[in-house]
Amino acid sequence: MTALIDARSLPDTTVLTPDLAIIGGGPAGISLALALADSRISIALLESGGMNFDPKVQNLYAGDETGVRYTALDAGRLRFLGGSSNHWGGYCRPLDEIDFESRDWVAHSGWPFSRATIEPYFKRAQALCEAGPWIYDKGADAVSAPLMQLGPGGLYTSWFQFSKTRDSVLPTYFGHRYEQDLRVAKNVTPYTHANVTGIRLAPGSQTVERLDMATLNAAGTPGKRFTVKPRMVVLAAGAIESARLLLVSDDVVKPGVGNQNDLVGRFFADHPIPRDVATLVVFGGPLAAFYGTTVTLSNGAIMRAAISPNSAFCRANKVVGSLTTVENPVDLDDTGKAAVITTALALGVDASDAKAYSLGCGMELQPNPDRRLTLTGEKDALGLPRLKLDMRISDADFALYRRTLAELGRQLLASRAGMLRINYDHREQWLKAMDWGNHHLGTTRMSADPKQGVVNPDSQVHGVSNLYVAGSSVFPTYGSSNPTLNLIALTLRLGDHLRKVMA
Amino acid sequence: MKRRDVIAGVAAMGVALAAGVYRFTDLIEKHYLPTPYDDLLGKLTDRKQAAKLGAKVSGGFDMQSQVARLRAVLQSHSLTEAADADIAASRMVEIDGWVLPQTVAWLSALAAKA
Repeated sequence: MTALIDARSLPDTTVLTPDLAIIGGGPAGISLALALADSRISIALLESGGMNFDPKVQNLYAGDETGVRYTALDAGRLRFLGGSSNHWGGYCRPLDEIDFESRDWVAHSGWPFSRATIEPYFKRAQALCEAGPWIYDKGADAVSAPLMQLGPGGLYTSWFQFSKTRDSVLPTYFGHRYEQDLRVAKNVTPYTHANVTGIRLAPGSQTVERLDMATLNAAGTPGKRFTVKPRMVVLAAGAIESARLLLVSDDVVKPGVGNQNDLVGRFFADHPIPRDVATLVVFGGPLAAFYGTTVTLSNGAIMRAAISPNSAFCRANKVVGSLTTVENPVDLDDTGKAAVITTALALGVDASDAKAYSLGCGMELQPNPDRRLTLTGEKDALGLPRLKLDMRISDADFALYRRTLAELGRQLLASRAGMLRINYDHREQWLKAMDWGNHHLGTTRMSADPKQGVVNPDSQVHGVSNLYVAGSSVFPTYGSSNPTLNLIALTLRLGDHLRKVMA
Repeated sequence: MKRRDVIAGVAAMGVALAAGVYRFTDLIEKHYLPTPYDDLLGKLTDRKQAAKLGAKVSGGFDMQSQVARLRAVLQSHSLTEAADADIAASRMVEIDGWVLPQTVAWLSALAAKA
């Protein structure tokens, strides 16, 4: 059994020479290490934190923000083994096929391959997420209560599945869940408290020569320095930190590694989660429980329904992805009651048992190169420049989702099942209700064209033969699905690629 | 006077009083003055609630043209048929955020203004 090595115990001049260095012990890094655990590839898994939260380590994440209000950079992610899965809500849903397409109404959209390319990896990703049997859009057949009736149109009931709840332990926290598996893997050596401070290229700039490493003392001051000289490097530090490490590593290529086209850190995205976006009235009484909360099926799957636009509606109406969820029961004001009475009477529907609910959502943002991370002059305890995020959300992002909600309202009336109020009209209203998924996306986007992306379709950094990026930072377009399941599937694909190129 | 005559008289007065309250006050049912749009407003089962909803129309309601359109639709169709046709054709209008069939929305606005 391999021990987890605390890098603070390494001698100062240590040089590690694994075949593969994985930077970051979050869901991507751990999934990749486990995917290669039966190979002959020696792997160093380099995690900055320890096994638990440490505020001094966490402070390495602090940064500045400008633009619309957003989660602080040291609050929306976690820097210890398991990474941000340590505060994961457990939501799983595969990206839709349309999410991979180049959509002519969405600038900069499209992946270099279709969903079919990562489809073979979904079930293994599902297993790593401990999300039960693969059901998703066959959820209607798996649950016993009826779905919300929607007339013909653009939206349908879709499904989340959830990372398994084990006893009182909430979703799979990858560090705690897979610590033992990492220890058992003979070719994997996990290092904790191992911070990468630079990705150093060989003078020709075509390959990574070494990783500069540093530890942080318990007092939060710089500790030891050591070096890792791997054959291959996979950067799996999350969409914010991966971009930061590329940007700070500018000794050979001045704008930073992989940044010859000024793309690293651009196209940052997240899923806006505005609250109470709409009021849903169901004429016939309460909705099935799985709309408002999770239900556990007899086969162990934990599911919750959401309302999603179908691809035909997205194309015809030029909207992007969204997942609308039923939240809390609410009371209607006098105007709401008047709307329900008037409409129900007009349609000849009995609404005497009508129930009203607040709706929430997760929205897809359109890619925006100006929503970006840049380095600041301020430095962290290890001497690395901190980041500044310019967070933006356009009026068009809200307008597209509003169009989707209007269609939901129309379909409810068409089926005589209910009706809908859209609660926000102005940008200020949306922003006031805004929350974020903390799904960091897009900063090292994937494209076959080096002028359009930081990594190629194999997740290799353009122009650097032995450097890859794993995680949702490579998503060039985002969809509305929660990223964890999808980034793990993509990482498992990268694992297969590395097996081939490192054989 | 016989006892049954007294009871009959009191009952008659009661009925007359109730009829008066119903006809000449809004305590039991709202009474509306005649308007040029009663042929349209008569399509509403609950004009009071429709007016409450229609009062939230913030602007953009051109009464003359909407009345003409409503008449064109409702002369030959029931309100339910007109609403269904709106829904099928995506002719939706928002009042205070409520997504409504256009005919229901305009009729509600008319109820508020009439």
